[in-house]
Amino acid sequence: MLAPWSEPVRSLKTFRTSRAMTERPPALPNRRAIKTTRRRSALIVAILTIGVVGAGRAQYGIAASSQDVQAKLSYCKDCHGPSAQGYRGYVPIPRLAGQQPAYFENQLKAFIARRRTNNVMFNVANSLSPSMVAALAANFHSLNPPPIGGAPQRFVATGRNIFQNGMPDVNIAACAACHGPDATGSEQIPRLAGQLYPYVIKELTNWGKERGQNPARPDISAVMSPVAHSLNKEQIEAVAAYVSTLR
Amino acid sequence: MDVRNVQTSSSKMHYRRKSLSAGGLTLALHAAIATVGLTTLARAEDTSSGTVSEKEVQSKLAYCEVCHGVSAQGFHGYYPIPRLAGQPTEYLKNQLQAFVERRRTSNIMFNVGHVLSPAMIAALTTDFSELNPKPLGGAPKENIDEGKKIFESGIADANVPPCASCHGPEAKGNGPFPRLAGQVYDYVVNKLTNWEKERGQNPASPDTSAIMQPIAHSLTQPQIKAVAAYVSTLE
Repeated sequence: MLAPWSEPVRSLKTFRTSRAMTERPPALPNRRAIKTTRRRSALIVAILTIGVVGAGRAQYGIAASSQDVQAKLSYCKDCHGPSAQGYRGYVPIPRLAGQQPAYFENQLKAFIARRRTNNVMFNVANSLSPSMVAALAANFHSLNPPPIGGAPQRFVATGRNIFQNGMPDVNIAACAACHGPDATGSEQIPRLAGQLYPYVIKELTNWGKERGQNPARPDISAVMSPVAHSLNKEQIEAVAAYVSTLR
Repeated sequence: MDVRNVQTSSSKMHYRRKSLSAGGLTLALHAAIATVGLTTLARAEDTSSGTVSEKEVQSKLAYCEVCHGVSAQGFHGYYPIPRLAGQPTEYLKNQLQAFVERRRTSNIMFNVGHVLSPAMIAALTTDFSELNPKPLGGAPKENIDEGKKIFESGIADANVPPCASCHGPEAKGNGPFPRLAGQVYDYVVNKLTNWEKERGQNPASPDTSAIMQPIAHSLTQPQIKAVAAYVSTLE
């Protein structure tokens, strides 16, 4: 069903579209009866849709059925990997398994609000109801596949040192202070354990160009800006290699 | 302590030396010798040694604020990270020393504290003591009244003195006694719950944290939460 995750404005468009379709001149007179019936059902569906959306909005979303959730999960996993362990597509696609629900939800909102720029994820997120987002967040959080691997091992020791201790003499904060000593994250602060090596590099390298992009709505990504900015390429690679090995 | 200053200064010289040309190397050596000389002088006069540029202070402040919040109002990272804004300079200095001397256990803050020169510590603590952002908030509201009562009157039956007698009626702190006004709720709960495991950990070097130990020990978990909620709301 279309209705639960549509915004009221969009369902009004749907309504208009169905009317416009019904206003087309009938092609053949003997089909007119069928068309009229269809026209009526289209109208009824449209009206029902508006009613349901209105009610859903009042209750802050309609509960997504287990079947809907399973279908959506399998859709997410097309790109994020069958156990949400991440995947190397044309771009590195992040691990969602074990991710903090609050972070997960905030990122989906960030894509919609264009605080975080990503056209693919804008479209993905835009069609999700709040209850679907909550169901997906809980499901991904519960998964715990082994890391996908593939990072150069020679960086891992340096990365561990930066992650656990930071580099106080050059003003680089210890990642562990916010992401936790096991890199599991907390609330809006993401889990990094097992995250894809190339994805972490890409995010840290482009932080200021991808996150916090809506000046009217500053967000928690601002915390990472100075950190990402002060890390050099080798340090980024080292930290990315280290976290990508953590379970 | 002066020995450590000398070591810190010369390791800093190492850093700068990397970016210097061969000609600069001799200069750096002279500077190192001069630094040693100055430190000895400073020791004789008992003043803090060295200076620090405004730019270095600003970079270090930005680094501190990554975890402690943009106005040092505190932050919820993986750990609750304390508010430093409005904190008395003496308390801040003592805590940084406590981390370095392992009187207070925190690996992250040990590393952070270890690289700070006395001049940098003086600049940072002054800056933080002058900030006054709104409290971070987020404490449960229901026990605030009980917390206020404990804070102002103590719990005589349990030998808990009023917090206000040392931390002040507005919880602003004084000298070695920390400001509690606006402190992060979870942080206060965490500290009072684990006092003996985190503070006064170097038996060779007992410190003022011993004063709080019996008090933290006498408070029950609901009382700790009530006091923490109350102080976290104070501006």
